[in-house]
Amino acid sequence: MGKMNREIILKELEKIVGKDYATNRSEDLYIYSQDPGASIPRSVDFVVMPNNTEEVQEIIKLANREKISIVPMGGGLTLSGLIIPVKGGIVVDMKRMNKILEINQFSRYALIEAGVTTGQILSHLNENYQNLQPPIPDAPPSATVAGNMLIHGSGYLSQRYGGHGTMINGLEVVLPNGEICKLGSCAVSDYWFDRGPIPDFIGLFISAFGTMGVITKLSIQLFPKPKMRDIIFGLMNNPKDIPDLLLKITATGYAEDILLGMQDKPEWMKGYVFIMTYITGETEDDIDRQSKALKRIYRKSNARFMKAPEKMRNLYLDKPIFASGAADFRKGGGFEYVGAFIPLEKIPEAYKKGAELSRKYNIPPTLGSRLIGGVHNIVMFFSYSFNRADPKDMENARRALHETNKLALELGGIPWKAELEGQRLTLGKMDSSYKKLLKTIKNTLDPNNIMNSGNWEVI
Amino acid sequence: MELNVEQDWRDIVHRCFRCGYCKFTYEFSDFNCPSYKKHRFETYSTGGRLWLIYGLISREIPWSQGAANVLFACSTCGNCNENCRFDKFNDFLVDIIEAARAEAVKNGFCPEKQKALIERIENPEMYNPYGEQNSNNEDLKKEYDLPDKAEWVYFIGCTSNYRQKDLRDATLRFLKKANIDFTLIDEHCCCSPVIRTGQINSVKDFINYNIAQINNAGASKVITSCAGCYRTLKKDWLKYGADYDFQIYHTVELVKKLLDDGKLKVISEYNKTITYHDPCHLGRHMDIYEVPREVYKYIPGIKLVEMKRNRENAWCCGAGGGVKIGYPDWSIEISKERLEEAKETGATVISSVCPFCRTNLSDANIKFNMNFEVIDLIEILDKLEFEIFGI
Repeated sequence: MGKMNREIILKELEKIVGKDYATNRSEDLYIYSQDPGASIPRSVDFVVMPNNTEEVQEIIKLANREKISIVPMGGGLTLSGLIIPVKGGIVVDMKRMNKILEINQFSRYALIEAGVTTGQILSHLNENYQNLQPPIPDAPPSATVAGNMLIHGSGYLSQRYGGHGTMINGLEVVLPNGEICKLGSCAVSDYWFDRGPIPDFIGLFISAFGTMGVITKLSIQLFPKPKMRDIIFGLMNNPKDIPDLLLKITATGYAEDILLGMQDKPEWMKGYVFIMTYITGETEDDIDRQSKALKRIYRKSNARFMKAPEKMRNLYLDKPIFASGAADFRKGGGFEYVGAFIPLEKIPEAYKKGAELSRKYNIPPTLGSRLIGGVHNIVMFFSYSFNRADPKDMENARRALHETNKLALELGGIPWKAELEGQRLTLGKMDSSYKKLLKTIKNTLDPNNIMNSGNWEVI
Repeated sequence: MELNVEQDWRDIVHRCFRCGYCKFTYEFSDFNCPSYKKHRFETYSTGGRLWLIYGLISREIPWSQGAANVLFACSTCGNCNENCRFDKFNDFLVDIIEAARAEAVKNGFCPEKQKALIERIENPEMYNPYGEQNSNNEDLKKEYDLPDKAEWVYFIGCTSNYRQKDLRDATLRFLKKANIDFTLIDEHCCCSPVIRTGQINSVKDFINYNIAQINNAGASKVITSCAGCYRTLKKDWLKYGADYDFQIYHTVELVKKLLDDGKLKVISEYNKTITYHDPCHLGRHMDIYEVPREVYKYIPGIKLVEMKRNRENAWCCGAGGGVKIGYPDWSIEISKERLEEAKETGATVISSVCPFCRTNLSDANIKFNMNFEVIDLIEILDKLEFEIFGI
């Protein structure tokens, strides 16, 4: 793109979103050329901040005409570089589209614009609908709800209610040709209450990283908020005991969430796998009864119950905790993890090999996992913090991440929200007919290949 | 804890993970960073700014007027310090931004409007950021019959001495009525405006001069009615290596002590509903939130109501960090948001303890016809009858 053409395109973008919300100034583009993960920075040509669906439409039409890549961005916190353009182009920062359009207390959903942050929806419900809670990822409050849902995120409430991608009732999407499309019950009804008993295309846009269109509105499920919550904490010597323990806990139906982890700090946790089961209830008796039952299960499955340290209780019971502390282990501002969907039976091996892999790269093991929808899926976190001011340390983290992606696939798992290398590894293992279908759909929807091009690229 | 002026910030700036807590209120209900709320590009959040600073000092991107503009478009309100989750890093966010501004100035990229601050302050006819003829305060000393030497020095501050004279005069009258043994000095700017805007070359000279003047007056205590001066004398002067023995107080601290000790009693009533605006320089920068509130509560008849965002969570008035002079329209917009929030409380009076906040809130009040009475706490006291015991 020549300088002249760049200036013309900027003027057109300014005409669409207003002068204040389109930029190609180097000081503005700099931060959009990288994320807090270990990806190598890549260049960005423009950043725009649309205020409504029609502006998104116009941006996409312009990009199609000029054959420039479009990269939609929410909070920019995937850590795996998904919002850094692969082939230059326009980053569409969605955060000005931040209206909460409807809270439906009967069908328990929120209809929101794509730039609403998880902090904003939580705060809105806390203030106005104390009986409802939203699904919240293990991410800071600046993560957008749409971003989290569309990468098939998980987090609080996932054990009881499922992965966040499955909590989407409906979408408004601007397709790569600039047309607006409503998906879910909202395509037929005024109510955004379900995906609807109609052919379900919502999945096309989940984990697609913006390659199929730009989501402008979405409806997400909300859930009743319990009066009381507690944590049943325990330690295990041996990861091989994890499957049996989790099968027993989930069979009770008590657990709202289950987290597991292995980390070297504090010192007393070193070498153990910890488990934290969240229980909820309406009365102290409810909590007491569930607590006793879970303690029995812990004992029978070789997990030693212990009263959670006060600091930990305060941190985790202030739900959601909006994690960011793990990113600061090395005080270096850099953090990325391989999150991988892994079947329960492979979790013990994932802990063992994950810890070995961390040590191989001289990074203290920081492993974790969260149950999604019972034991049907476990998302496993292999975390690496690094010093982003040290290129060697960053490269070390990149190599560790790459090897971890391979490990996840070897274990029968699938890297989640994978960076480009992880996507390539996944595509390499993907059934050829699935790849062919993916390519056909992608080429049909986006013949000019403008939508976050470079991602999920089937060669 | 303070950062080393010359070096330390370069060693830690990259610790920012860009998680974005710095943008929000405590409960995430709104963006509480005026700069991010205005510009909305990530660059203008504190996280974005710190990443940009890292890019500049690591030479990933060159210094430019545009980059400098990002650094200066921040009122240094300290909301980011309050909300950042990284201990022993969150104390320094504003310090890092100020240090990077000094670096921008060193590299020749000080924005034009902010340059006026240093030009006026260094002008030997002025020594203040308002471009006024320097007042040696001798006339005031005569008018109020003040001695050359006293236990206290009232450090008026440039905003009160050259712009908010009602506030200054109310303070002078209060101190006289309260029988405080005080005097004035031929003060030069405390340097808050130039420290905030990274124009730091002559800061030490100004500090040394003012300290010498205070010592010459024989004072063991300094009182100021300006939140900006208070922060600067108590925090920045030490950061710049000052060595002094005197104690520093904000007027409101003295008033509260007199009330608590039973030496001051307000007799007449102030039958108005007021809301208190926390100045960033007194609140988030110096952790003083309750002292002024407790003083208001001593006043008979007063109804004190809180704005939704208060104390550590307060929305900035928009005047600080060089924003008032550098971006006057935006500065007033920030104050407008504060006044709109004040409107929701039902208050008819918005009160604070900072002449700079008073200036900006008043400017917005007039420009947007908000119909508030904007008044400093000491001005309220000045309107009331009170008794003094045993001083």
